[in-house]
Amino acid sequence: MKIAGKPEKIFVGVLLLALFWAAGCTPALVPLTLDDTVIADTRVWSGEVRVRGLVTVKKGGQLTIEPGTKVVFAPFDDDGDGIGDGELLVEGSIIARGTAERPILFTSGAVKPQPADWKFVYVDFARQAEFDHAIFEYAFSGLQIHFCKARVTNSEFRHNIDGLRFSTVNLYAAGNRLHHNVHGVRYEERRSEALLHHNDIRDNQVGLFVVTRGEDRARFVHNNITANRQYDVKLGWQQPGPVTLAENWWGTIATDEIVHRFFDQRRDASLGLVTAPQPLAGPVDPADWQNFPGVVP
Amino acid sequence: MILRRLVRFSLLVLFCVASLPLFTVPAAACVGKTLVVGALDTPQQQVLAQMLSILISERTGTTVKIVPMESHAAAHEALQRADLDMYVEYTGVGQVELLKQPPIADPATLYQAVKERYNQDLNLVWLQPFGFAEPRNAPEGTVAEAAPVVRKDTLKKFPALARLINKLGGVIDLATMGKLETESQASSSRDVARRFLKDNRLI
Repeated sequence: MKIAGKPEKIFVGVLLLALFWAAGCTPALVPLTLDDTVIADTRVWSGEVRVRGLVTVKKGGQLTIEPGTKVVFAPFDDDGDGIGDGELLVEGSIIARGTAERPILFTSGAVKPQPADWKFVYVDFARQAEFDHAIFEYAFSGLQIHFCKARVTNSEFRHNIDGLRFSTVNLYAAGNRLHHNVHGVRYEERRSEALLHHNDIRDNQVGLFVVTRGEDRARFVHNNITANRQYDVKLGWQQPGPVTLAENWWGTIATDEIVHRFFDQRRDASLGLVTAPQPLAGPVDPADWQNFPGVVP
Repeated sequence: MILRRLVRFSLLVLFCVASLPLFTVPAAACVGKTLVVGALDTPQQQVLAQMLSILISERTGTTVKIVPMESHAAAHEALQRADLDMYVEYTGVGQVELLKQPPIADPATLYQAVKERYNQDLNLVWLQPFGFAEPRNAPEGTVAEAAPVVRKDTLKKFPALARLINKLGGVIDLATMGKLETESQASSSRDVARRFLKDNRLI
């Protein structure tokens, strides 16, 4: 069939646009604006996505976020708890793979953005969760992961209350940069199988915040954990067990100086002891994470 | 013919797209762990509220918000309404002005009296006094020991809270409180509170 007339061309254009929109794709120059929204099918986000509310990816739903996508959460606080209410909750599947040149950005829509302008990307009992070359900023928690398997690589967490936060997960995190958060990494281990390596955790108020109930199973190796303003490692009020952080770079190899940067049994007898055996002699390059012997491809 | 089908199909697609918002369901989720501390507009109340806030948030990771209160009565009512989780009250004020009971001169007897009455009648818990009695506003015939008063259901939700807050029990005498108030004229009450907690190895 040959479609030559102007009205026909307009119809075809409208049709393609509608199909594009219905499939969850947004043309790069047209921001997608969402308030409380449930995604139960397959969606693809690209360009700019503006969120004012809670976006939920349900069990059967799948959200793919394309490189260069900017997800902007409007700063609003209806419940008045001091924490923005914008949120992306994932119970289904999320694939957010950016590139070094075109990272995916999760950010605040405030004119003068502040930590906790929006709540979090919250991955809970999800079927699949992968984040690569993503930037999380000005959130209460940039990324929270609970009760599922997740992979976070080459990403950046900055200006959040908690950068990366997890509990009861199978987490693989490598090559990430976490800086200028209150807590770089915050976790409640609760039988988590976590491997974090080649992450650069610096210039936070606290580098690692081990909140509670850790059984020393989460593995932090070959990370830079240094220059955090208050403590490099802090144990929470209910963390009486030991925490072992072997083979990391602490900015020094002098044990006295390293442990002076821990808030643990040395400061409060009710807490566990943090140890840092075999400290590395120099910093690791986060970009080298794929050469690590324990790498999960 | 084909063009007509295309038109019909495009209208159908547009109808479906327009209907999508009807099938979206607002869902509720919250951080759920923000504690609210009330504080009157005095240097002493501000420093003590900041002390509670920093101790709780930094040792447990719980988010704490401080809200201003106009008076003891307003704070007391807000606590009972669950608009607050806790604030710092004074034993003599609690006994005489809030419970409307006769003054009691002995500090220990007074503390036990308000603690029991608050617990039984109001489901509010007096935690350990900070360690000083405020002489400027004690009702006649009483003393005014400062202590955190917390909702009982807050303590049920946060079982470790009482033990943590009680770390502040008895650690601030009157001279220390006066010094902290003076310091708060020159720097923020939050900085003063943080410095005190740090110096006492509490954070």
